[in-house]
Amino acid sequence: MTPPTLGNTTPGRELRRRFLWLGLAMTVLLGVLSIQLYRLQITRGEEYSAKSVANFVKEVRLRADRGVIKDARGTILVDSRPSFDAVVTPAFCTDCSEQVIPRLAELLQWDADQAKKVEDLVRQGRRNAPFQPVPVRVDLTRDEYDRLAARRDILDGVEVAPVPHRHYRTNTVLSHVLGYMNEITQEELERLNGDGSRYALGDYIGRRGLERYFEQRLRGRDGVRKEVVNARGQKIEELNVKLGDNAVVQPQAGSNVVLSIDMRLQEEAERAFPGVTGAVVAIDVHTGFIRALVSRPGFDPNLLTGRVTPTQMAQLSRDPLEPMVNRVAAEHYSPGSTFKVVTALAAFKSGAFRPETVVNCPGGYRLGARTWRCHLDRGHGPVNGLDAMKSSCDTWFYKVADTIGLDPIGEMGKSLGLGSPTGINVVAEVPGIMPTSAYHDKASPGGYTKGMALNSAIGQGDNNVTPLQLALMYAAIANGGTLYKPQMVQRLENLDGQVVQEFKPEVVRRVEIPPAHLKSVIEGLVKVAHEPGGTSYRSRLKGMRDLDVLVAAKTGTAQVARLGAIRLRTHQMSYFERDHAWFAGFAPADKPEIAVVVLNEHGGHGGVDAAPTAMAVIQKYLDLKKLDASAPPPRPNQPYTPSVLRAPSPDEAALTRGVKPPKLLPGDEEALEDTHATPD
Amino acid sequence: MQLRIERRMVPHVPWGLIICVLGVSLLGIWNLASASRPPLAPVWSSQALYLGLGVVAVLVVCLVDYRWIQRMAMPIYVANILALIALRFIGHTAKGAESWFVIGPFRLQPAEFMKIGVVLMLAKVYHDDFRPNEPSYGLVRLWKPVLVVGVPFVLVLVQPDLGTALMIGLSSLTVILFGKVRWYLVATLVAAILAGAIVIWNDYVRDVPEPRPTIVRHHLKKHQSQRISGWLDPEADLRGSGYHAAQSKIAVGSGGVSGKGWREGTQTGLRFLPEQHTDFIFSVWAEEHGFVLCTLLLVLYGAIFIFGLGVGFNARDRFGAFVAVGVVAMLFWQVFENIGMVIGLLPVTGITLPLMSYGGSSMMSVMLSIGLLVNISMRRHMF
Repeated sequence: MTPPTLGNTTPGRELRRRFLWLGLAMTVLLGVLSIQLYRLQITRGEEYSAKSVANFVKEVRLRADRGVIKDARGTILVDSRPSFDAVVTPAFCTDCSEQVIPRLAELLQWDADQAKKVEDLVRQGRRNAPFQPVPVRVDLTRDEYDRLAARRDILDGVEVAPVPHRHYRTNTVLSHVLGYMNEITQEELERLNGDGSRYALGDYIGRRGLERYFEQRLRGRDGVRKEVVNARGQKIEELNVKLGDNAVVQPQAGSNVVLSIDMRLQEEAERAFPGVTGAVVAIDVHTGFIRALVSRPGFDPNLLTGRVTPTQMAQLSRDPLEPMVNRVAAEHYSPGSTFKVVTALAAFKSGAFRPETVVNCPGGYRLGARTWRCHLDRGHGPVNGLDAMKSSCDTWFYKVADTIGLDPIGEMGKSLGLGSPTGINVVAEVPGIMPTSAYHDKASPGGYTKGMALNSAIGQGDNNVTPLQLALMYAAIANGGTLYKPQMVQRLENLDGQVVQEFKPEVVRRVEIPPAHLKSVIEGLVKVAHEPGGTSYRSRLKGMRDLDVLVAAKTGTAQVARLGAIRLRTHQMSYFERDHAWFAGFAPADKPEIAVVVLNEHGGHGGVDAAPTAMAVIQKYLDLKKLDASAPPPRPNQPYTPSVLRAPSPDEAALTRGVKPPKLLPGDEEALEDTHATPD
Repeated sequence: MQLRIERRMVPHVPWGLIICVLGVSLLGIWNLASASRPPLAPVWSSQALYLGLGVVAVLVVCLVDYRWIQRMAMPIYVANILALIALRFIGHTAKGAESWFVIGPFRLQPAEFMKIGVVLMLAKVYHDDFRPNEPSYGLVRLWKPVLVVGVPFVLVLVQPDLGTALMIGLSSLTVILFGKVRWYLVATLVAAILAGAIVIWNDYVRDVPEPRPTIVRHHLKKHQSQRISGWLDPEADLRGSGYHAAQSKIAVGSGGVSGKGWREGTQTGLRFLPEQHTDFIFSVWAEEHGFVLCTLLLVLYGAIFIFGLGVGFNARDRFGAFVAVGVVAMLFWQVFENIGMVIGLLPVTGITLPLMSYGGSSMMSVMLSIGLLVNISMRRHMF
C-alpha cells in the first residue's frame, strides 16, 4: 500500500456541505422536469391526445358519383366515363425536378411552360402535403397511358390513377346549356366550404349552364373512410379496429337532371340551321319548356373540362365569333320585322287602328323633313293591317308609330316580356332593351323624338331582344296572352329513376289582350306563310310536307349597319355589317303547340336564310308527335350517339357567301344600328 | 493491484444504488420491447445482452482497487485522447459525424468513454492539487482542470458531436464548481447565462417587426438557428425543424395520467417519433405509461443520484469524492438534457437517456461509471 497523501487523510469535511447543496440542486432540477411533465400530460393532456389521433387517422374521401344529364326521353347526354390521370406523389418522387419531370414532359409532350408549372405544383405539394398526390395531367389518352405505363420504372412517384371524367356526349351541341367543369379556385373553395359544402382543392366544379346551376344537386354527398396511417402515410390495416364503427360513411350519388329538350328535335334544328353564328329555339307554347336550343358557334365542353391548354383557351376567348356566348339568351339583337306583332297589337289596343285600316305605301313615310323608307322602294300601294303584316310593309307601321307614339308600343312590348330578364336562371341572360320615351329622354342625346318611335315600330332603333324573349312572346300570342317562364329541366331523378323534384310550368303574367286583336294578328301571321307574297310562303311550301297545318310566321331582316345612299348587296358588305335574318312563329296556328325562333346572325334575309330552318323544325316536331303517339317509349338511359353533321366552319360558310369573317373584331360595328331598316 | 473482494468490504456494497440501477435498466428493456415492436428489429434482446455485459463490467471495476485506477487515470485519459484523434483518420462516418470505430460487428463510440476519462483525470487533478490553507480556486489556479476538460471538449466538438461535448462541459463544470471557485468566477458565470438568455430572447422570442435587430442570429448557420427556433416554438414548422420536438411533445402529452398502455402507443407504433429507441426513448415511456410512471422513473433516477452523491459523501479520500461527483454529474446532465429535450424544455441534441436508450457504448459507459461508484463505496473504510 502506498503511504497516504495529503488528499487521502481528509476526505473532505468541507466537501460535505457541498454534497448537500449539489443533491438539492439536482432534486430541484428534476422537480422542474416533473412540473413540465405535469403541464404536458395533465393540464394539456386532452389537447395532445386529440393531436395524436389527428396524426394517425387519415380521412379518405369517397367520391359521390355525379348525376347524369338526360334529354326528355331519357337519353344520356352527359355522364362520367372511366379515365386515367397522371399523378405525382411528391414524397415518393425523388429527383423530381431534375429527372422525373423532364421525362414526363418528354413522354406527354409538354412545352417548357407547362413543365415549369408542374414543377412548381409538385414543389408546393412537397411542402404542404407530401403524401397528397398532385394531378399533373388529367384524362390521359390511350397513347399517353401506354407510354407512361411502359416507362413506369424510371418515373419514381408517378402513378396513373383511375378517375371518373365528365363525358359530354353531344360534343359542341348544346354546349352553352350543359356547361362544363374545371378546377375549383382557392376563393371558391373557402366560400363554398364556409357555406357547409365539402370541396377539396383539385375538385372540379360546374361552370356555366346546367353544370353550374345544378352543381349542388348533381354533385351528391361525398362519403368518408377513415384509415390508420403511419408517419410515412402507409395504411396499417390491423389497427383499423381503433377507429370504431363509424369509420365509413357511404357517399350519396348526385341527382340526375332530365331536360325538356328532345334530342331528335335538337338534331333536326342543328341539321337544318345553315348559319355559322346564330340561334334556334323551340318552345312549348303552353308550358314554357324548351324543346330545342341551338346556339352557334359552340365550344367543346370535353376540351374545357380539364384538358384545355392556355393556348386553346386564348384562342377561344379571342375568337371574333365569340363561341362562349350563348346567343339564345346572353346576347341581344334588333328584332327587325318580327317585332311588328307588338306594334300591331298596340295599334289595335289604341283604337285608332283596326285590321281593316288602309294606309297607302308609296315606298316610304314622310315625317318632318325626312323620309323613312319602306323596304320595297317602289311601295306596296294601299295596304290594310293584315296585308301589311303579310308583306311586312313598313309604312303601315310608321303610320301607327306616328299616330300613337312610342309609349303604347313600349308598354305592349314590356308586358309581353321584352326589356326584362325571362328568369331562366340556368343559363346567363341579358334583359334586352324595350325603349320608351322615358328611356330615350335618359339615354339619347337630345331626348325622345318621334323618329325614334318610327324606328322602334319596325324593330330597329334601340329595340333589342334575345331570341328566347322573342320565342316566349310568340308563345304568349299563340296561347292567348300567358307569358311563361322558360325552363329546360323537367325533373330531377335519383339513381333509381324516382323523381326527386318536378318542375312545373311557371306563369310570369297573363297579359290582357282582347281575343279579337290576337285573332287578327295571328290571321296576319298565317298569311305570311300561306298566301303567295307572304315572306315565308315559299319556304313553307319547300320545307313542310304537312301543308294542311297552319303555320303562323313572321320573318325579319334586322339591319346592322347604317344604310348608305345606295343599298348594298349582301356580298358587298363585310361579314359583321351584314343583316341578321330572323324567323319567329308558331304552329299549328289554329291550335298552337310549339313556337320557334330562328336567328341567323349576319345571315342575310329572314325569308331565305331563317325561315327554312324553322319550317324543318316544325315539320320534325309534327313527325315526332305522330311517331310517339304510335311507337312505344324508348328504353331510357341509352347513351347518346351524335348523328348530326358537324356545324359548318366559318371557311365553308364563307364559300357560299363570298366574304370571310374578319379574324379580329373591328370596334365600330356595334354602334351603327340606327335610322332605317330593310324589312322583307 | 488488488483483485479480490475482502469480507470487510461487503457491508459497504451500495445495494440501494444497485437496485435502482437494475430497476431502471429492466424498465428500459421492457420499454424497448415496446419501442421496437414489429416490424422493427427487436433490439430489446441485444439491450439485455448489453446489460449483462454491463453487469460484468461493474464486477470487473469493483475488483480493482481504485487507487490503482487513480494511478492509471493519466494513461486512461491519454489513451482516450489518442482514440479521439485516431477517429479523425479511421473513424466511421454516420449522420454527418465521425463518432464510431467499427470493430467487427461492434461499433464503438470513444466519446462515451472519454467522458469517464475526463471525470477520472479531473478527480486526480483535484486530489493532487489539494491545498487546504489556500483560498478557493482563482482563475490562474484553474489552468490544470480547464486544460484537462478543454482538450477532449474540443476534440469531441469537431467530430462534430455537440451533445457529448456539451455533456463533458456541463459535468466538468459541475465538478469544478464543486471544487469551489472564487466568487467573481461564479458571478461571471451567472452573468454569462443571463446574457445568453437575453440574446436568445432578443433574437428569437421578442415580438418585433422584421427585420429584427439580431445580435448573434445572423452569425449562426441556418440549421443551427433553426434548431433554436424549433426548440422555442416547435409548432411553427411542424414538417421541418420543429418536427421532432412537436411530435415528441404530442407523444408525451397524449400519455395523460395513466398512459395508453404497453405497446399501445400510437405515436410509437406508427413511427411518428424519430429515433424512438435511442434519443427519444423517454417519449415512448411517457406516452404508454403516463404521468404517474414518468414520475416514478424520475424518482428512480433521483434515487440513483442521491445514492451516488452519498457514495461520494462517505468516500475515503478526495479522489473518491470527486469521481463520485463527476460520475453523478455526468449521469444527471444526460438525464436532465434528454428528458428536457423530449418534453420540450430544452433544444434537441443527440443525447441518450442513460440505462433506457438502446446502445451498447452508452450502456457500457454508464455501467463503468456505476462500477466506479460501487468500488468507491466498498472501499470506504479500507485503510
